[in-house]
Amino acid sequence: MTSITVNGKQHQIDADPNMPLLWVIRDIIGLTGTKYGCGVAQCGACVVHLNGDAVRSCVTKLSRAAGQQVITIEGLSANNDHPAQQAWNEENVPQCGYCHSGQIMSAAVLLRENPNPSDADIDSAMAGNICRCGTYLRIRKAIHLAAELQRKEGASK
Amino acid sequence: MSTSTISRRNFLRATGITGAALCLGFSFSADGKANVIVATDADQSAIEMNAWIKIDASGKVTLVDHRAEMGQGSYQSVPQIIAEELEVDLKDVNVIFAQGDPKKYGGQITGGSSTVRDSYKRLLKLSATAREVLIAAAAAKWKVSATDCYAQSGTVIHKPSGKKFHYGELVADASKLDAPKNIVLKKRSDYKLIGKPLHRKDTPMKTNGEAIFGLDKKLPGMLYAVVERNPRFRGKVKSFDAAATKKIPGVKHVFVVKMEVFNTIREGVAVVATSTWAAMQGRKALKVIWDDTGFEHVNIADIYTRQHEELKKEGLFFKKQGDPDGILTKAEKMLDVVYQTPYQAHSAMEPLNCIAHYQKDKIEIWGPIQAPDWVQGDISQKFKMPIDKVRVNMTFLGGGFGRKAFLDYPYEATMISKQIDGPVQVIWTREDDTTQGPYRAGISYRAQGAIANGQIMAVKFRMAGQNIDHWSDPKRGVANSSTTEGFLAPYFESIKNISFADVPFEMPIPNMWWRSVYASTNGFAYESFIDELAHEAGKDPLDFRRAYLKDERCQKLIDKLEEVSGWKSRKKNEGYGVAITECFSSTVGQIVKVSQKAGGGIIIDKVWAVMDCGWYVNPDIIHAQIEGSIIMALGAATTHEITFKDGLVEQRNFYDYKMPRITDIPPIEVHIIDNDADAGGVGEPGLPAFSPALTAAIFDLTGKRIRKLPFDMANI
Amino acid sequence: MKNQIKFPVKALAAIGVLLTMVGIMAFALHNDNAPVSKQLVVKKDSIASVKAFKQVYTVLMSARCMNCHPSGDIPLQGEDSHLHTMLPKRGVDGKGVYAMKCSNCHQPANTPGLHTPPGNPNWHLPPADMKMIFQGRTPHQLAKQLVDPNQNGHKDLKKLIEHADDGLVLAGWNPGEGRKLPPISHAAFKKAWITWLTTGAYAPNGK
Repeated sequence: MTSITVNGKQHQIDADPNMPLLWVIRDIIGLTGTKYGCGVAQCGACVVHLNGDAVRSCVTKLSRAAGQQVITIEGLSANNDHPAQQAWNEENVPQCGYCHSGQIMSAAVLLRENPNPSDADIDSAMAGNICRCGTYLRIRKAIHLAAELQRKEGASK
Repeated sequence: MSTSTISRRNFLRATGITGAALCLGFSFSADGKANVIVATDADQSAIEMNAWIKIDASGKVTLVDHRAEMGQGSYQSVPQIIAEELEVDLKDVNVIFAQGDPKKYGGQITGGSSTVRDSYKRLLKLSATAREVLIAAAAAKWKVSATDCYAQSGTVIHKPSGKKFHYGELVADASKLDAPKNIVLKKRSDYKLIGKPLHRKDTPMKTNGEAIFGLDKKLPGMLYAVVERNPRFRGKVKSFDAAATKKIPGVKHVFVVKMEVFNTIREGVAVVATSTWAAMQGRKALKVIWDDTGFEHVNIADIYTRQHEELKKEGLFFKKQGDPDGILTKAEKMLDVVYQTPYQAHSAMEPLNCIAHYQKDKIEIWGPIQAPDWVQGDISQKFKMPIDKVRVNMTFLGGGFGRKAFLDYPYEATMISKQIDGPVQVIWTREDDTTQGPYRAGISYRAQGAIANGQIMAVKFRMAGQNIDHWSDPKRGVANSSTTEGFLAPYFESIKNISFADVPFEMPIPNMWWRSVYASTNGFAYESFIDELAHEAGKDPLDFRRAYLKDERCQKLIDKLEEVSGWKSRKKNEGYGVAITECFSSTVGQIVKVSQKAGGGIIIDKVWAVMDCGWYVNPDIIHAQIEGSIIMALGAATTHEITFKDGLVEQRNFYDYKMPRITDIPPIEVHIIDNDADAGGVGEPGLPAFSPALTAAIFDLTGKRIRKLPFDMANI
Repeated sequence: MKNQIKFPVKALAAIGVLLTMVGIMAFALHNDNAPVSKQLVVKKDSIASVKAFKQVYTVLMSARCMNCHPSGDIPLQGEDSHLHTMLPKRGVDGKGVYAMKCSNCHQPANTPGLHTPPGNPNWHLPPADMKMIFQGRTPHQLAKQLVDPNQNGHKDLKKLIEHADDGLVLAGWNPGEGRKLPPISHAAFKKAWITWLTTGAYAPNGK
């Protein structure tokens, strides 16, 4: 049994501790927002936050998450209103949408660590996430908007 | 009317006998019976006004997307069209995917950028008809003239009195009325929704993990399967040893499964388990001995060598006008060059997957499927199940690009379900998705042409490559239109001596449409050659097109390209290239600007695209599709290709089949031409013009002509 | 003696080293960590030292070592030491930036399978203020750099010797499936490394 906390809820997982967190989250816990894209940390579709870091859950073993805090796209915000989520909606970013859970989870770490990212900062943060539909220009635009929304939110608090 | 006990099928039959109460007259409805029926699956209480519109007593409107949503926007475009004439607010409607049902919806294959252009006229008409029937029902209830009533935001309003009914209060009555005959559609200038860059309805659920893709669908008691398929496309299983596999906790079944699709038969060993991971672990432990006899094990270099050899033949002429051969033979100087384009995998972000549940009396399928009607027909035929006992459900598709219109993966999933006697989800790993095909075929082209006095005297194009349209008899030896795809029709008016031919070319490699299909490779060869001819003629490449594409729409598009790109005010050290292609009834022109990168190589500074797709629904979706098409073309031109060695694919995953990333993307500026022509395609036409415009720009900058894709931008 | 590397006085003083005027370094370590002190007795031998360094150099310039000692701020990848796909950045601490921290992909241990991220609990590049670049360095340059505390992470001789058994150094010999090992064994490397250091840490001739 491995104990992990996903989106604030504790789960006792009866599975091979070598099972990637991706499959634990999807097949056992049943949260399917986190996607399988490559299985080898190339595409970023599976990004979740492990203690706040944007880990690739396809290569992160269940054992590494034991006793730790995991946040998935479903737990990023209560009402789809994290600044990145708002900005993604405002800028009409997704096409097929499959990669965007991972894109948004990556962007959320960038926005937390850098409230005013430049284009170069966005490149540095987001080059690990592939989008086959080619929404990159909108991702860039949305991250700039999200930073703005985040600053406004911060100012209003 | 009883609404609770009657099944959809029975009711269809019943209305067929008794005559329809409300006939909206869909031209494609072969049996003419799809009229007023009761939905028993999606919403028990809703009345289906027609195949696309359901309204329940509370006024809740459900619209059906009959096509696949794979990123291209059908989930928004179809409802945006319907809502316009039905007079409902898009924010209040619910959108669901249709099941495969060609009798009801007509063709559902989501390919050829056809969703809007195939459907919009009938969608407008049936939506307006539904609205008029609702108005008539309200007028009858109020005992007023229908001309005094109008519809707005899901209600019918009596203008003189201000009285209102919401649609839910009218739908039962409306369903008993005859549909009015002479429906007047709105003028384009009166549209409130169509033509506006509205937010897509599927965006919110794609930003919080709610959207259900094929891989996300779960059924009670469902097992998970992966398949170790013969890595050579037509190979079989000689034997396998599953001793170690069966020791993996969770592994339930291991058996040979045969996949038989179109002209490809392939065997593999299925490992079925209680989780995806267990199945994958079981597969790793498997030992399989393959039977690879009876077909050629190809090498990529041989393929192209043979194609180039084939290009010496004349091939099958699809189109020929004037006397290109006579003129070329006599020409003082003939350009005679070969272009080469690579095999490409589709590599949708969502790898292939499918759920099947085979039962004795019915089969149900769920998955990311581009052609639910085709899958239904194929499964019905192959498993000898009556067609109405095969239900094919579409989920969101995590990309498709043509791959998910192939029928192999639902068939394989059904085979596995039948064998284990229960529901199963078959997951293709990224490696499976990359190595198993089908692929866009790599095609070589020969282009010959002569210039005199700055004019094109004659042009002769021929292609050699695997052609899906030659797969089976009687099409095998017959010329087909694939040879001219991508080439603009007005050229035929101005180039008097021209011919197109293809040399049939067979290889044991499965092929499938890849975004923009033949135009994706034809466009590169044909527009590159026009650029070479312009250079030979000593003409500016944009002016050269202006001279040869006399059609009014092309002239406007060329003017727009020139205006937005600053083509004529280019500076030193800037390379500009242009290409204009046709694809699925839309024309796209692109100008690419490049410069030398500090430290070597070429950098793309900017791409301008001008789209003429006639009537359109949502300009923001058009922008997005062109941006995405350009980026997909960038990858296919500069970062990835599929190659073969000894019959095996050499690429496996994104580490060796490299996708463009955010760091590789140039700024893209998209413009849409406004006109009242019939709607053209949107999802694919943005792709073909990019690579010839890019290589023309590189030629402009460096004098180096690139005739082979892909090429490395860092080493020009 | 122009190729001999001199440990800067400060650093040498810190570990109590006496430096002879003729350039013979005699380390008389006043150090309580006795176990390695024996190795720290430097016996100058320029020929043996340069010979040992040549072996050291082949290891340090192999993909397993050089890939994390790039000349730029992006690590290298593969046997041909191309720029790491997806261009992860060094970051201030050498552990990456934002959503692209090394440990987001590189796990505490190697991920099974081909083309998967190799792992180590401490996976990182040298930090931004001490880049310790190997890529492009000549044997001469690299040798001088390795013993310069201002360029080697403030390592004195003792720490340099200990570095042979550093976890990330050892990871070079456990590179994960499908990756080539450095050209010689870790034991041979360690021997050459210590020999080089304890025979005067001579740099090969050249630029």
